Amino acid sequence: MSGMDVHDILELDRGPEKEFITKDALMNSDKKKKLARKSDANTFKKPEGMHRELWGLLWTDNRFPCNKDAPPLIPTDTNQGYKQMKAKIGSSKVRPWKWMPFTNPARKDGAIFHHWRRVADEGKDYPFARFNKQPEVPVYSDLEYQQHLHDDNWSRQETDHLFELCKRFSLRFVVMYDRWDRDKFSSRSVEDLKERYYNICNKLVKVRAPHGAEPKIRAYDAEHERKRKSQLIKLFERTTEQVEEEEKLIEELKKIELRKKEREKKTQDLQKLITAADSNIDSRKSDKKKASKKFPQTQKLHKETTALTPETTGIKFPDFKQPGAYVRSQKMKLPATIGQKKTKAIEQVLEEMGIEYNPMPTDEITGHFNELRQDIVLLYELKLALATCDYELETLKHQYEVLNPGKTPDVPLPETPDPLVDIGQRDDDSSRDNIDVVGSLTPNRKRKAALESTTAHLLKKMKNRV
Amino acid sequence: MSGGVYGGDEVGAIVLDFGGYSIRAGYAGEDTPKAEIPSSVGVLEEAEAVMETDEIKKDGGRKYFIDTNSLRVPRKGMEVQAFLKDGMIDNWDIFESVLDYTYKRHIQSESQEHPVMMSEASWNSRAKRERLTEIMFEKYNVPAFFLCKNAVLSAFANGRSTGLVVDSGATYTTAVPVYDGYVLGQAIVKSPLAGDFISLECRKLMEELNIDVIPPYMIASKEPVNENQAPKWKKKEIPEVTSSFHNYMVKDVLQDFAASVLQVSDVPYEESGAESMPCTPYEFPNGFHRDFAEDRIKIPEMLFDPSQIKDVPSNSMLSVGHVITTSVGMCDIDIRPSLYSSLIVVGGNSLLNGFSDRLNRDLSNKLTANMRLKLISATGTSERRFSTWIGGSILASLGSFQQMWISKQEYDEGGKSCVEKKCP
Repeated sequence: MSGMDVHDILELDRGPEKEFITKDALMNSDKKKKLARKSDANTFKKPEGMHRELWGLLWTDNRFPCNKDAPPLIPTDTNQGYKQMKAKIGSSKVRPWKWMPFTNPARKDGAIFHHWRRVADEGKDYPFARFNKQPEVPVYSDLEYQQHLHDDNWSRQETDHLFELCKRFSLRFVVMYDRWDRDKFSSRSVEDLKERYYNICNKLVKVRAPHGAEPKIRAYDAEHERKRKSQLIKLFERTTEQVEEEEKLIEELKKIELRKKEREKKTQDLQKLITAADSNIDSRKSDKKKASKKFPQTQKLHKETTALTPETTGIKFPDFKQPGAYVRSQKMKLPATIGQKKTKAIEQVLEEMGIEYNPMPTDEITGHFNELRQDIVLLYELKLALATCDYELETLKHQYEVLNPGKTPDVPLPETPDPLVDIGQRDDDSSRDNIDVVGSLTPNRKRKAALESTTAHLLKKMKNRV
Repeated sequence: MSGGVYGGDEVGAIVLDFGGYSIRAGYAGEDTPKAEIPSSVGVLEEAEAVMETDEIKKDGGRKYFIDTNSLRVPRKGMEVQAFLKDGMIDNWDIFESVLDYTYKRHIQSESQEHPVMMSEASWNSRAKRERLTEIMFEKYNVPAFFLCKNAVLSAFANGRSTGLVVDSGATYTTAVPVYDGYVLGQAIVKSPLAGDFISLECRKLMEELNIDVIPPYMIASKEPVNENQAPKWKKKEIPEVTSSFHNYMVKDVLQDFAASVLQVSDVPYEESGAESMPCTPYEFPNGFHRDFAEDRIKIPEMLFDPSQIKDVPSNSMLSVGHVITTSVGMCDIDIRPSLYSSLIVVGGNSLLNGFSDRLNRDLSNKLTANMRLKLISATGTSERRFSTWIGGSILASLGSFQQMWISKQEYDEGGKSCVEKKCP
């Protein structure tokens, strides 16, 4: 129906030649024609001015009486029923075959063979002759050889033999190498053969090229090929153990790299802590003595690390900027983000110091109390870090001793008690952080020492203040 | 011939394949040979022939008994003789008789009407090739002739032009590298651990077990007995036969034994593991029957682990896997991957149960992971036994091959030496 609609919209008349179906066409079972089997006589034209939709309804109804799709009452031979006559394929005449002689143009001797072929094809060229393709092997004259192609390594006979083989085996150098006449000539490698052949080809092309024209040169780098092959052979001749060892090494390397990354991450975390500690001290220190010796350095480090890790550790007490009145003790309330462990730690320290858990929230006390608790959390974190560092140091020490039995790791104790300078140096070192596990002992030790002194420092300060 | 895909063009060629066990003959373009004739021939020295039959060929006072039917008749004084030695034609007299017989009985057509494609051992000598060419053109007057290495034909039969052909036949297990349809003669490796070796080991086993192998020709009648009981059979009235005939017949029984009982174990043989393997019963022609357990694994194990062989110094033999790796190791490094990735296993001996599985395992243990290994072996028995012949059948009926024949004209011009040039 839709096809009809389109035709109506475009106001196209279907050509009679499309709709007229001959019996022959049906016999050939052309599907397109089957679809368009409405004959001209049965198609009513849409009266002009009638709506398409209305016409569609009418026309469909109309179809029934005029037996468009209705089954015929008597059998017909129009092939419009359910059954298709079998299409007649290959109704043309039988084309006879004949056992006939033929010559093959690909052969030079004109030998005659016999085969079966259609009579109609008699006398035509042998169809398989066109597959006879041979690569072009250049031929050189005596003069050319004497003038250009002489090589101290190759005699004329040997070169001739090479070119004969090239022709016989269509430049399959591996086969040529196999068939090389080793009785007459010295043994040559595949690369030797190729080198000589391509050299001669290139020279001939150059010599024969007309003046001014750029001849096409085939590049062949025998040295490179030899190297490539020797490497391939090395790869091929690896034993299973070697392959396993290699795989093991690669795995180890991956592990080491992973560990290195972990360590770097840890260092960063530590740095963060230390920076936080520093900033706490600095802020107080700078108030008291501004002209400190180490100040510029600290500042530098401070800048670097803050750039790296902008977030600070400790407790962040929320700012109260709500309108209206509120209880000041609200300011002292610990935020919910702090973990249970930390809360416990705070409680413990406060107990040790003999400080109430909920002091009177005067303005001053609130500030100090919050600061104190901040410091406590920082201390707690530093202690944790120290413990992990200690643990790591011990494992590394143990590893070192296992790897180098009889030796104790020679770890120099840090001479500079000042942690900040030490960390500064350590920071510079970090770029050449060794992959080697054993080698990383010293920096670790340093770091540990630095931490230790930092925490000691801090603790003292805090105690002083409290 | 209409499409470009189908490249066949029949010229009515005959394909002949000479193997250590049998000779196969038939028309090119068919999928199995028309005839399979044993490579052994009965020879009777006396000239007092009473009657001439088809199978008997008289020649200088000698009678030859060719083909299974006449060969297996027990005759007084008939020696069984093979005319191939080392895979090459050795006795030209018998060869010609066999060829005459083949044309007469199986091809049933005139030799001058059909081009002949013949297989040869990959290590055939130049003198033998030329002699063969001469015989074919001078005596049989063939219109065209082609001699092709059997490894190349086996590769073609498996649809490859490059690959390592591992042919475990009767006399030899060989590894022959084929590159683009050419055999690389420098890298051929042969090992005598093949079908005949297996038969020999089976024979030793029978001696060890005190089993008297009676070939069917001696048996007039037999009665069923229980397992491991002494057989009850009556001997036939036969003329006194030569030991070569008897041995040939015994070997035939042993070959049947090998084919039906032997099993290649998946993993290297161990005394303990073998006990769990199932037993296989075998009944000998005289009615004696028993189960074979570990021996059925022990014998083929020698193919893969020559140290199991008792009376031979262990390091003098190459195992099948070793034959292959040695051969590939002698080839150019650039083609080694393509050889390993099409390892074509052919030959009757490779039909031993579990042969290719074990080979695959041995090789993948030897090779590193980056070398792709692929074993190609036809599943059908006849495809594997006749792979050379089938390859010849394919090649000789290819349209593009028809330019390769040595024609009669070329032979007349160039003489017999043209075989070296035309058939690489």
